[in-house]
Amino acid sequence: MTAMTRILIRHEFILGILFVIVLFAMASQNDRFLTTANLLNQARLMTEVGLIAIPMTFVIVTGGIDLSVGSILGLCAILLGVFWQNLGLPLPAAIGLSLAAGTAAGFANGLIVTRFRVPPLIATLATLALYRGLAEGISQARSVRGYPDWFAVLGRGDFLGIPTQLWLFALVAAVGIFVLRFTTFGRTTYAIGNNEAAAEFSGLPVVRTKLLIYTASGFISALAAIVFVSRVSTTRSDMGSGIELEVITAVVLGGTSIFGGRGMVIGTLIGLCLMQILQNGLSLSGVRGDGTTVVIGAVLIVAVLISNLLSRFSSD
Amino acid sequence: MSRRLTHTLGSLGQEILLVVVILALFAFVGVYNPRFLSENNLTSIFVGNAYIAVAAIGMSLVIISGNIDVSIGALIGVLAVISGLLVTNGYPIWVAWLAPLVVGAAINAVVGCLIAYARVPSIIATLAMLSILSGGLITFTGGQWISGLPAGYQLAQFRLLNVPSPVWFMIGMTILAGFLMRYTTFGRSVYAVGSNPEAARASGISYKATVVKVFAIHGAIGGVAAVLFATQLQVIQSTTPVGLELVIITASVVGGVSILGGVGTVFGSTLAAILFAAIGSSLIFLNVSAYWLRAVQGILILATVLADMARRRRTG
Amino acid sequence: MKKLITALLGASLLSTPVFAQSAWTGGDDQPTNPLACTGESPAPEPGEYNGGTPTNAPDRNGKDLTVVDIPKLVGVGYFASTASGMQEAAKELGNITINTDGPTRANIDEQITFVDNYITSGVDGILFAANDPVAIAPVLEKALEAGINVVGYDADAEADARQWFVNQALPNGVAKSMMDQLASEIGEDGSFAIVTSTFTTPNQARWISEMQAYTEKCYPNLKFLETVEAQEDNILSFNQAQTLINKYGDELNGILGMTSVATPAAAEAVQQNSLCGKVSVVGLALPNAMKPYINSDCIQSTILWNTVDLGYAAAQVMRQVADGTLKPGATTVTAGRLGELQIVNQSQVLLGQPKVFTKADINDFDF
Repeated sequence: MTAMTRILIRHEFILGILFVIVLFAMASQNDRFLTTANLLNQARLMTEVGLIAIPMTFVIVTGGIDLSVGSILGLCAILLGVFWQNLGLPLPAAIGLSLAAGTAAGFANGLIVTRFRVPPLIATLATLALYRGLAEGISQARSVRGYPDWFAVLGRGDFLGIPTQLWLFALVAAVGIFVLRFTTFGRTTYAIGNNEAAAEFSGLPVVRTKLLIYTASGFISALAAIVFVSRVSTTRSDMGSGIELEVITAVVLGGTSIFGGRGMVIGTLIGLCLMQILQNGLSLSGVRGDGTTVVIGAVLIVAVLISNLLSRFSSD
Repeated sequence: MSRRLTHTLGSLGQEILLVVVILALFAFVGVYNPRFLSENNLTSIFVGNAYIAVAAIGMSLVIISGNIDVSIGALIGVLAVISGLLVTNGYPIWVAWLAPLVVGAAINAVVGCLIAYARVPSIIATLAMLSILSGGLITFTGGQWISGLPAGYQLAQFRLLNVPSPVWFMIGMTILAGFLMRYTTFGRSVYAVGSNPEAARASGISYKATVVKVFAIHGAIGGVAAVLFATQLQVIQSTTPVGLELVIITASVVGGVSILGGVGTVFGSTLAAILFAAIGSSLIFLNVSAYWLRAVQGILILATVLADMARRRRTG
Repeated sequence: MKKLITALLGASLLSTPVFAQSAWTGGDDQPTNPLACTGESPAPEPGEYNGGTPTNAPDRNGKDLTVVDIPKLVGVGYFASTASGMQEAAKELGNITINTDGPTRANIDEQITFVDNYITSGVDGILFAANDPVAIAPVLEKALEAGINVVGYDADAEADARQWFVNQALPNGVAKSMMDQLASEIGEDGSFAIVTSTFTTPNQARWISEMQAYTEKCYPNLKFLETVEAQEDNILSFNQAQTLINKYGDELNGILGMTSVATPAAAEAVQQNSLCGKVSVVGLALPNAMKPYINSDCIQSTILWNTVDLGYAAAQVMRQVADGTLKPGATTVTAGRLGELQIVNQSQVLLGQPKVFTKADINDFDF
């Protein structure tokens, strides 16, 4: 097989073609779809899911999963409000503490997974309940509102004509691409996913790598919380519930193998964009939300089926 | 507690641990408020989560076979609505009771084929089904509840020997599935497929056929759960409880089914479902501020899992 | 192992509140304004208009309108019935098309995305029931800036983010109806517990706080026991009501259901425990869901505004706002078959007082 065909049958490439097809199909349906304003706005709406999807790609590449991201988001949003309003801290300090709390929550996930060797699905299922519970308990179900105007710049403002949070997202994505692709850390991540025992045996820092990845997942979830609060200018303890499924859908749609060892940040980005333009495009063409949900489910299966079929065809 | 006793306890299964925790919880809350142990309350603890316990039996089979199903909550919703629509449109009651089993088995057999023959990872196939089923349900029902159910339809309100039928279903199905898993070739092949698909294939067990059967059985059991869900009240809600799939998966894994496949029994998941119901009820009896309810649940899940891990490490 | 159990039990104990709670669980911390205990309260003055105005809205007078209705969530009977009222109005008016679309969960983020997409698709009007008044405000302001007419119903946003809000009943009015009905059924010194959706739902939190204020003023001997959460899930509502019955035994005289999901489920629990007449259920629920219990004399009443009328009125108001016939400063608005509706709270159209449905009239209604 030539290098060219190998690239052609990559899941990411197929997904890219699918993405372009959907883009043109949607654009032909509605002339309001393919406009800079709409696309930038869609990018703004997908930033929180997108941010979390970057570390989630790492988590899934190691063969793990993190279901607690939505709860960490909720907890950090609540803490931001509590630090700022109830404890009277300046908002930048509250932001810093909230990010620290998210990092700690992710670190705790990492500890449970590495030190106690609890399978990630169970560990984060438990912390999903725990962190959400803490958010509800700490907030006593009260929402915090009335954030200063400068804070809204992050979630609702623009910088050089592009939504502010998109710059942040681009930065995180770039770091993600670089680290996974070009560093020893990235290679260790793949090695863990391919065969954890072998990775450990060959002296790779498995525990440290996994710990770092889960911690990063917590940190980025907290970052997403800050962006979210800034965008909607209120905090509620139910924020981010169910976001984990959206994130995981984007990552697996992007070609990351749920069994670990395979996947790229670029794929996740394409998967994410595909989901978002499907939702937006179908909505603009008059398909109701529940219909869109059905289509996204079907696309997920079809994408994986095509990818499987082609890889089988090429290996024959 | 002495080291020897700890060791003895540790060498027993997760089931024993769960029984101990449940009994301790009953004793503690019973002392705090004797009404907790009243016949009425014990009955409602068993009845309240019976449909979750039943669904968790099928989920355990799926997980033991090395797969996962995140669409079960949506499936239960769809099957409950099918049952309700049949009976309100004049079909005999027994048809409305049996149809969910057949439809559930059929839908999940298709999912099983996708997983076994088209090699779509189970989490992706069922994530997609989650979208398709939940979106389709809203499109189809338009959100209308089903009311005007005929007398004699409420299967879950029947009593035998003064014990409500959901309890009989829970016990009966647990024993049946326990027998199936332990004493039949099929049961052994499920364990074999889950613990080592390659070895299973080498010893002549069909991986594909086993997975399709497991999913079909899981779908039929989901149908039973759906009938219990649909017949408990006088109306059928056309949406499913948010996060039902996570509760069911949690019951299975807390019950000792290893997410890595090949390990666990169905008894554990039933005990875990009872434990969750008991926790929900006891928090109200203990006057734990409802704001903290989910946090306490999370801590309990985490503690059970950590204890199990510690136990396995000592014995393993 | 033993340590573990001790730790667990300790954890549960620690979170046990030792003191009686001063505020009812599940209320919000906004100021309350309880009505007079007896007699009619004077109608409040509407005051100066504080709603928003769409920027450069085209002249829509008499023209065909494309309107989207975005409720808190789709898939519940409550919003299915408001949507049917809107269709009724659309049919009657003939020049307005209303399409209902929304998230499948009461989720602030998804609802914002829906509004945003419909702004882009270029509708003439947006009808909404907000999951969070503040979170939805920026995107509604964006709609106003795009020249779209924005009218709320059921759950409001911040006033300047929409033009008008069709209020089904004032919170203090809901509180009065609920507590008067409860006191008439369980006596003025009975004990009761509350089943609500979640503590973060703004409408329910508002009503609970108003109920507390009204009770302290008018029924000081009524005893509040506790509030439990039951999501929008009828089996969970049933289980929670069942547990309350088991926990309090004879001490429990009444259950207040704060949602159209919780109330029928609580009634079911009472009926299945053969406690009809011993434990009262008072709450908000659609008449259709309560008919089995009221017709069998197990439950005496259900309280609700007419949800079909609510949707109908919202559509009528939308038409008149687009036509420019409903202007700031108006004191009443004529809403088709509903006749004159009063304007209150600066920019709200009041549907009326909540209605108490009893066996005498419940079968006359079908929603």
